[in-house]
Amino acid sequence: MGASDPSGRDVLRGAIRGQRRGVAVGSLLGAGHQAGEASVPVLIGVVIDQAVGKGDLSALLLWLAVLAVVYVGLSFSFRFGARAGERAAEQAGHKLRVALVRRVLDAGGGAENGRLPGALATIATEDAKRVGVVNMAVMSGVAALTGLLVGAVVLLRISVPLGLIVLLGTPVLLWLGHLLSKPLEHRSEAEQERASHASGVAADLVAGLRVLKGIGAEAAAVDRYRRTSRDSLVATLRAARAEALQSGMVLALTGGFIAVVALVGGRLAIAGDITLGELVSAVGLALFLLGPLEVFSWVNADLAQGRASAARIAGVLAAPRDVAPGGAPPPAPVRGAVRLRGVSHGGLREIDLDVRPGEVLGVAATDPADAAALLRCLGRQADPDAGAVELDGVPLRELDPADVRMAILVADHDADLFEGTLRDNITAALDTPGRTAPDAPERTALGDLERIDPAGTGRTAVPGREEDAMRAAGVEEIARALARGADTAVTERGRSLSGGQRQRVALARALAADRPVLVVHDPTTAVDAVTEARIAAGIREIRRGRTTILVTTSPSLLAMADRVVLLDQGRIVDTASHADLVQRHTAYRTAVLA
Amino acid sequence: MTRPEAQDRAQDQDRELLPTATSRETRAFLRVLVRPHRTLAAAGFTVMVGATAVGLVTQPLLGHMVDLVATHAPVAALTLPAVLLVLVAVAQGVSTSLGLSLISRLGETVLARLRERFVERALRLPLGQVEKAGSGDLTARVTGDVSQVADAVRTALPELARSVLAIVLTLGALAVIDWRFLLAALLAVPIQAHTARWYVRNAVPLYARERVAAGAQQQQLLDSIGGAGTVRAFRLEAEHTGRVTRRSQAAVDLTMQGVRLVLRFYSRLHLAEYTGLAAVLVAGFFLVRSGSATIGAATAAALYFHSLFAPINSALVLMDDAQTALAGLARLVGVAAARPYESTPAAGEPQKTDNAVTVRGVGHAYEPGRPVLHDVDLVLRAGERVALVGASGAGKTTLAKLIAGIHHPTTGSVHPPVAARRGDGGREVALVTQELHVFAGPLADDLRLARPGATDDDLCAALDLVDALTWAEALPDGLLTVVGEGGHRLTAAQVQQLALARLVLADPPIAVLDEATAEAGSTGARVLEKATERAIEGRTALIVAHRLTQAATADRVVVMDGGRIVESGTHDELRAAGGPYAALWEAWSGTRSTPRT
Repeated sequence: MGASDPSGRDVLRGAIRGQRRGVAVGSLLGAGHQAGEASVPVLIGVVIDQAVGKGDLSALLLWLAVLAVVYVGLSFSFRFGARAGERAAEQAGHKLRVALVRRVLDAGGGAENGRLPGALATIATEDAKRVGVVNMAVMSGVAALTGLLVGAVVLLRISVPLGLIVLLGTPVLLWLGHLLSKPLEHRSEAEQERASHASGVAADLVAGLRVLKGIGAEAAAVDRYRRTSRDSLVATLRAARAEALQSGMVLALTGGFIAVVALVGGRLAIAGDITLGELVSAVGLALFLLGPLEVFSWVNADLAQGRASAARIAGVLAAPRDVAPGGAPPPAPVRGAVRLRGVSHGGLREIDLDVRPGEVLGVAATDPADAAALLRCLGRQADPDAGAVELDGVPLRELDPADVRMAILVADHDADLFEGTLRDNITAALDTPGRTAPDAPERTALGDLERIDPAGTGRTAVPGREEDAMRAAGVEEIARALARGADTAVTERGRSLSGGQRQRVALARALAADRPVLVVHDPTTAVDAVTEARIAAGIREIRRGRTTILVTTSPSLLAMADRVVLLDQGRIVDTASHADLVQRHTAYRTAVLA
Repeated sequence: MTRPEAQDRAQDQDRELLPTATSRETRAFLRVLVRPHRTLAAAGFTVMVGATAVGLVTQPLLGHMVDLVATHAPVAALTLPAVLLVLVAVAQGVSTSLGLSLISRLGETVLARLRERFVERALRLPLGQVEKAGSGDLTARVTGDVSQVADAVRTALPELARSVLAIVLTLGALAVIDWRFLLAALLAVPIQAHTARWYVRNAVPLYARERVAAGAQQQQLLDSIGGAGTVRAFRLEAEHTGRVTRRSQAAVDLTMQGVRLVLRFYSRLHLAEYTGLAAVLVAGFFLVRSGSATIGAATAAALYFHSLFAPINSALVLMDDAQTALAGLARLVGVAAARPYESTPAAGEPQKTDNAVTVRGVGHAYEPGRPVLHDVDLVLRAGERVALVGASGAGKTTLAKLIAGIHHPTTGSVHPPVAARRGDGGREVALVTQELHVFAGPLADDLRLARPGATDDDLCAALDLVDALTWAEALPDGLLTVVGEGGHRLTAAQVQQLALARLVLADPPIAVLDEATAEAGSTGARVLEKATERAIEGRTALIVAHRLTQAATADRVVVMDGGRIVESGTHDELRAAGGPYAALWEAWSGTRSTPRT
């Protein structure tokens, strides 16, 4: 897998090739198991014929010993063959899962475009698993083919006409069953889907429990669910009836087929063409062969699903990156001078802006979309359509996005918290410089797992920095109110905290990361005014001497900036202090004070 | 165990979950659910027994044909048993169809009743209890457990019923041929019984761990993928890839443990198969030699036993599914059979209120010994709009929740009480929180949850009032556009407007609004503030204010600090008073740069 843009076929092939030993061992042993299973009915026939029919005790002992050997063989080959196959399937799925997450988290971004997180998570679990299962399907297919061949050889050796009846009859039988059940299957699938709708509605109502309770709509919701549930019951019953009919038909067809084999075989036996034991073997084999043939139909279904899943996985792995990696070495040490030269992006029109090292700059945008465009350019999540953003005189475009983010941190107002304690979240980025080597961007999408740092344990926190950050962002009081303080676990991506608490923890994390340039976006929208004023002072204090850009319309924050830039209609209209802008511009007053 | 793993483990526990039923409670509850369908149950069982019994005629007929061959009967004699075989097949097919559809009708109907009861009770659980358990617990039950039980009802139950019937009746048929064949076949039973016990003992805890690991993996994926932007901004790529790798590897390892267990289980079953088969063949040998059985009987017995392999294996494997389903069922019944939650006084009885709210001497503690409210007195006059201002942790949200009846105060009283209902069944007090949820389905259905009988005109009027009609009508299918999970995505501000429209439709005399504008950003916040004002027009309203403009336009401002009310009065009065509110306002309106706090 040399290319970094794999197709679905590459993904599927890679998944099998990566596990070729497991698949080979599994196929070989699986074949042995099937051959053994095929021998059991044959041996029953032989025992009846040679021992029971002739009353020969030594023949009985001999053939029971043979049967024992066959059992030991089939049992062991099944056990170790299936284990090898399952392991291959699981490992292949795991590798794809890790490769997918690596691609999604890649500094160049782009994999999430047009895909919801839930959908991506499903690709990383379900689709990765389905592609992995293809290994098992290949193995089972080979094994079933062996079983079929062994059965065929034995049958044809017993009698060519009887063998042909069985060999041609079994596929016809399965085909007939398939044909009869196809319209039913179709209907049943559609109805199952409607049935699963009921559980979706229930989950949705439970997710909105607070909203329902707030407006006292519990009774209305229960009524609605009951209707959905009844509708889905009707659909499910129809599907269940269809399935029952299908099972019944398959049973009747199989029974009829056995009758034909017994009749033809019996006639041959009476005519002396085959022995009694061979008749018993033939009937047993006819029943046995239905097994491997059924395996083929689900192997086919698994392969089809695996192909579709592989295409989805390839779509993510090959998603174009939002920004191309650049090769220039990052400035060291970073002074923190940020310069925008003629930047046009989204709604932004030819922005020229000089941010001095160590300055606290406020940016008030009248249109939130302009603020978002500016943030994307500053964090190199996107390159401007025209013009350039420079850090210490080096255009960001020439730097690797990963290097840019070591120097410039853009902290979004809706930043996510992760599972772990409050403190874990805040110290998350404390130790990134130097400790974890930036990933090489040209690494292949399905790269080795060995490169992952499995530890992520011991922190080398600069003492005091996290406490300072927590104090500045007003997290200390949150921690004080919690039973286990800063060591309280944050669950459900921060949902266990209120919106305001979440924002403050996220801000503390951004402050603790201590990057040379910090860009903060609306960090206090869900924070009350008292705390906001305190946080404004805290940010100013902790960022002393380091470049800080506040993109916000909060007057408390803008009031403490050295300069404030007013961004209106995509252009910089004025640059002055908060108080002066309040005096001079109606647009500013509307945006900030209202 | 490495440190991260220990951490992961600790987070998976550490919760007070919702009730789970004991097996006796589960059985009792199921009996109540099945009772109305007794006839159906009896009919289904009878037909399935018949179907299985008919199928068992196959092997003796085959045996009879073997006897005919052995005794060199004329070729024509084979025709009758062959025709009978076909008839048996048809009869078995028809009766199996009927039996399966009867059984699945029983299962599905009971399942539907169960899930309805579950949802009904779940939606009426006290919110405090749900929050303590984590909303994930309830969600997991309503998705995971319901579908697990449904799967069991749909596939495992009929299959298990068929297998068990096949096993019992086949053993009976062996006895009919000759009781000594049955005796021989039963030699396999001790091995199977021991294997099954051994398997269940090991499998149940293992699979429980496997499910926890799969859930943790899913959560981690959602965490890392959903937060990809943050991960990149903070350069946490390696850390998060590592986390996913650990979770995924843990899930894979547990799955492989499960696979190894199942495979060892099958190995032991192979031993049982061989033992039984050899014993039946040996019995056949001696019975035929002594003349007490024909070759055909020996053949039929061997074929019977060979045909038992499949149902025995599937019954033993399904035991495991049944165990899982029973665990899920216990969690469903735990909620479904819980006593319906009604607070004092008894609901249904319309309470006379005067649209005023009186809070007297209220104190509250979520955990004993950690009070968050102290002795709060507050009166909201009918039609008055009161803004609640204060730092985070001052107790605003708690007070709002107590007034909205989400929690009961630890001490003191709130009037009107929680369950107060108007004559038309609507709630006296409605609460709009920062919770952003849109109910999946057409937009109109979402709104009708607040007032089920609302006409289209009512809906449009409500949307218009909160400034949402323009965008709502511009949606691809207007009010019929499917929104929410999997549907058209709405912005945070639109979702908040919907919440306000629901409030208008629910039309409660008293409204409590908490952080309703918090997530919309400043520009959106102003639109929402106007919408909010119109939505609470004519209602007694308590607004937890985050933007001080909301306080400025309220009839009265109440300032809280440290769980107490510290200031109360109109905006102008408080500004003039020079207290905490005045300082806040000056800082906020930018008339002074950095205030001392």
